Amino acid sequence: MRAASRAEGRLGSAERGGADLARTRLTWVLGLAVAALAIAAPHVFTSIAARHLLVLIGINIVLVASLDLLIGGAGLLSLGHAAFMGVGAYASALLVKAGQPFAVGLGAGLLAGALAGLLVGLPALRLKGHYFSVVTFIVGIIITILMTNLVDLTRGPMGLTGIPFAKVDLFGWHHTFKTIVFKVGYYYLVLAFAALVLLLRWRLGRSRFGRALTAVKGDENLAESVGIATYRVKLTAFTVAAAIAGLAGSLYAHYTAFISPDSFTFVHSFDLFVMNLLGGAGTVAGPIIGPVFLTALSSGLKGLSPALAHVVHGTVLILVIVALPTGIAGGVKRAAEALRGRRR
Amino acid sequence: MALQLALNALHSSSLYALVALGLTLILGVLDIADFAQGAIYMLGAYTAYFATSLFGVPFFLALPIAMVIGALLAAGNYLVVYRPLRRFSGATTFIAALGLLLILQNLALQFFGADFRLVKAPFANVRLNVFGATWTGYQMFIAFAVTVLVIGSWAFLKFTPVGMALRAVSQNRRGALVVGLDPFKVELVAFLLAGALAGAAGTLASGVNAFDPSIAAIVVIKAFAIVIFGGMGSVPGAIVGALIVGLAENLTAGLVNTQYAELTAFVLMILVLLVRPRGLFGPPEAKL
Repeated sequence: MRAASRAEGRLGSAERGGADLARTRLTWVLGLAVAALAIAAPHVFTSIAARHLLVLIGINIVLVASLDLLIGGAGLLSLGHAAFMGVGAYASALLVKAGQPFAVGLGAGLLAGALAGLLVGLPALRLKGHYFSVVTFIVGIIITILMTNLVDLTRGPMGLTGIPFAKVDLFGWHHTFKTIVFKVGYYYLVLAFAALVLLLRWRLGRSRFGRALTAVKGDENLAESVGIATYRVKLTAFTVAAAIAGLAGSLYAHYTAFISPDSFTFVHSFDLFVMNLLGGAGTVAGPIIGPVFLTALSSGLKGLSPALAHVVHGTVLILVIVALPTGIAGGVKRAAEALRGRRR
Repeated sequence: MALQLALNALHSSSLYALVALGLTLILGVLDIADFAQGAIYMLGAYTAYFATSLFGVPFFLALPIAMVIGALLAAGNYLVVYRPLRRFSGATTFIAALGLLLILQNLALQFFGADFRLVKAPFANVRLNVFGATWTGYQMFIAFAVTVLVIGSWAFLKFTPVGMALRAVSQNRRGALVVGLDPFKVELVAFLLAGALAGAAGTLASGVNAFDPSIAAIVVIKAFAIVIFGGMGSVPGAIVGALIVGLAENLTAGLVNTQYAELTAFVLMILVLLVRPRGLFGPPEAKL
């Protein structure tokens, strides 16, 4: 009986084999093309302003890929992600300013993000649906209030200035990333982290843990009833996502050499959220498409006053929700499927 | 000292109560976290400012004007944004609400500027001595106006047919539809009422607290923390929650320092989430 069903399964997969192979090949080609574009980008766009945007896109990809673990992976719409980035940025900046090497800063950013995520996740994950979103949103704001008020540690609204540049000391090769003018080197560093996090996000999605998250996203009660410890699974995802956000914060702090509470407000959390939604939550390409589009859009709006730029931002957001609930990647996928269906 | 703090607490509490009451009504009826209410509060304050300073309208007339504008704006938000989105999940509408807040707050920043404004309050010179504590005439006026508004809202919900329909939808949506209540009418009324209350709160606050467009986000976040603390969708929860938060805030400001006072509402919110996630007066089997 069991052998029969297994044979049946094998038969089914053999039938699908041809189409799957073609799709796998297409995915590889597309992936390599994107990687080549990413590597070539700073030599195509050579102005300092454009390269600056490229670095920011890279950092945003790290952030959105980690946020996608929550939104796309578990259906947890977290709206406080920039705050975890901020926690990581402050932890890293303070330690490296005190004389620790850059690598320690990165690790501290990761740990501080994880710790903050755990502390926030414990109460917030007791709520479901959009009540969870509201609480993460409010907690994100509390964290920026703390950054502003713990003046002894953070220097308050003045921010931290003169954060040391990233120094790498690898097998006798020393390099200091003086990012004010020389952006290409740091861009590749950020790109490496972005690729790593995208890979991690992709692998996690296919792991046992990822399937547990998918189950929680689909129906939490059902997931609980088949023996998934939903609260613990969600808490783990939340902590991991916050840790990666903390790492992104560290990358950001040593890039700009200046951070203040204003760099991590709810508006930035909101932007990250829009990037994920716009790109397509739960898709592989989404965390790349979203940051590229939105960073380009906001630099296109630089001519307007910041207030009007926010107005356009908000309008785009509402339109995206209404017109493209699955984001650009989701929309493309659907269009491709519709096309293939017609061809058959 | 303690009495003075309690008197100060009363007026901040009562202003939070108005916004929290509107938020909790909308949550109960539609399950929408309408953060755009903060923008209506802010526009209520600007209405009072421009009406009194540019057009010479007396303050007492600016209050109903701001309430009408607030009600219309909230109803407009409902018709243009929330109603078309009603087939989506609660999280989607929450994002849309944040989008609206962002749009309205930044439009105000663009057109009204970032300068802090303060409206010249009536009865500023009247002072009452209560056992050594001072109660200004304007604070008394706020307490009086808010009491009237809260009792009025309560009577509206309790005794009028529309109010009863609103409570019915809030308690059991499907049941209310079965007995033939029109959800559209009920939802529209909830937004009109919430908008009027938020507009009134903004106007009343404009005479005591200097404001700029960013007040929109600050107020609604605090009011929402109060709603979670008091119990989502619960009317008594919003009122009692506002009183407790206002008192705790002023005590912290008076006894510890003013910086941490800002955090009081949020600390209470987190405590209640850890101990009793449905809030003080939340429904027992909440939609949590």
